[in-house]
Amino acid sequence: MSNTATTPATNSATAKQGRTVRFRILRCDGPGKPSYWSEFDVQPELNANVISCLKQIAEKPVMVDGKEVTPVVWDSGCLEEVCGACTMVINGKVRQSCTCLIDDYAPRDGDTITLEPMSKFPVVRDLWVDRERLFHNLKRVKAWVPIDNTYSLGPGPKESPESQQTHYKLSECMSCGCCLEACPQFTIEEDESKWNNAFIGAHAISQARLFNNHETGKQLKGERLDELAGPGGVADCGNAQNCVKVCPKEIPLTESIGAMGRATTIHKIASFFSGKK
Amino acid sequence: MANDSGFMERNYFLLRRLHSLTGILPIGVFLIAHLTTNSSLAWGGLALRGKHSELNTLEGGQAYFYHEVEWINSNVPHLLLIEITLWLSIAFHSVLGVYYARTGKNNTQRYAYQDNKRYKWQRISGYVGVLFIFYHVATLRWQWTFLVPGGAEWNHHFSVSTLAAALRGSYDSITFAGFVVSLFYFVGITLLVFHFANGLWTAAITWGLTVSEQAQKRWGMVCTALGAGLMLAAWSALGAAVMTDPVEARALEEKLIVEAHGEQHLLEAKEKYPGPAPTVGEEDIADK
Repeated sequence: MSNTATTPATNSATAKQGRTVRFRILRCDGPGKPSYWSEFDVQPELNANVISCLKQIAEKPVMVDGKEVTPVVWDSGCLEEVCGACTMVINGKVRQSCTCLIDDYAPRDGDTITLEPMSKFPVVRDLWVDRERLFHNLKRVKAWVPIDNTYSLGPGPKESPESQQTHYKLSECMSCGCCLEACPQFTIEEDESKWNNAFIGAHAISQARLFNNHETGKQLKGERLDELAGPGGVADCGNAQNCVKVCPKEIPLTESIGAMGRATTIHKIASFFSGKK
Repeated sequence: MANDSGFMERNYFLLRRLHSLTGILPIGVFLIAHLTTNSSLAWGGLALRGKHSELNTLEGGQAYFYHEVEWINSNVPHLLLIEITLWLSIAFHSVLGVYYARTGKNNTQRYAYQDNKRYKWQRISGYVGVLFIFYHVATLRWQWTFLVPGGAEWNHHFSVSTLAAALRGSYDSITFAGFVVSLFYFVGITLLVFHFANGLWTAAITWGLTVSEQAQKRWGMVCTALGAGLMLAAWSALGAAVMTDPVEARALEEKLIVEAHGEQHLLEAKEKYPGPAPTVGEEDIADK
């Protein structure tokens, strides 16, 4: 679903070998420095992806006007679309660069590919951004199973196959940031002191759902719902539903938002009548 | 973890849910009743067929609408209280809505999905809708006639003729200013019906009524159908109002007042609300 929305039809069979592809890259020399565009020509290798082209540029960082510059910086890890580190904006849409095949994006000689860093996180350098707020927001909803102890607690409660099915999909989240980059309600906030009241984002809402439904994770259910019912919580969502369309793992993020909307409604009504606060 | 310092932060959940609730109750429910009543200007003639055979379809609609407005203004208890509740609800929904809308940043240029476009239009329709509702209530309810081209003052005894004159810009023919006002009405009601239908769809997710993608689609169809029906009602009401000749409508209203309440009532109503058309006639006679 998400791939058809963001990726052109596969052109691997028709892509011309030995062609030149132009990379238009939005660069930035460091935090707070101005951004500028640079262009590089690359002859992609067979079955090249954006990362392999960036490596070629790093080997020979010469712009189209012949000027030699510092290599373009990017972030990456697994190179198989499970770590989320290489997420960037390619031809105007957010996705992982490691699985972005050049044959699909630039099948003809002279085609251009545009690379930009994600706009919702502060740029460290060039295409490398600091996704700290994404992880901070996971901490806000305590997106973990609380099992720390000094002695063995024995086996945990049983999970039903049905809930395993739901959990598996939700657990595929790799914290890449696509849902946040595409969200019109999630805006860049460089001031860390404001993070706790700013919109938490689809990824954290979905992880809260995962751990609230987990038999052991349930222990922190109330705390997670308090956070989601608070400032910047799930009610901030404006239902533009871009998140679910750009999610590379096709996680049902909008269903998680609906589920957490329901959970916070019930939680708040219950607290009104029986809560101490 | 959240910082609970300010009023908005401490009452975040309550304010968010009240914002959502007021959009449906009372505002949305009122919108349905309001547009249904107003559209009788277009279909009322069909409902009266056989009862008032002397009236054509347009006149029948005017008579029907006249009776509806008279009924509301004489039979609905605590009308002012209802109105004040509505005004306060709309003010609350608008102020919070603008505050919330300003926290987002549209990106339909890059992500041109239909849902994302509706996110943007929900906010645009909110901004324009606030301006429209203010103009609409200020001119036709609070009688701020200095905002009405031609200066027509709406009142419920002559609901059809004063409405038509206020929309057309004069009691005679449609003026340019009247055309602009009518166009503003068209844009305003169209955006507001969209705002309500789309808001009803998103509210179901916010409250957690619709969770699965399929449920959201199904509820989307219900909201689309409701929106289409209301749009039809809104457009037909506006069309019929703009097509109404205020002078002819005034004559019909006077006849209906006499039929219902007698000559004496008409004289009292005329004294209070002379209306430009007859006044011009009297002045002409006085001049001669």
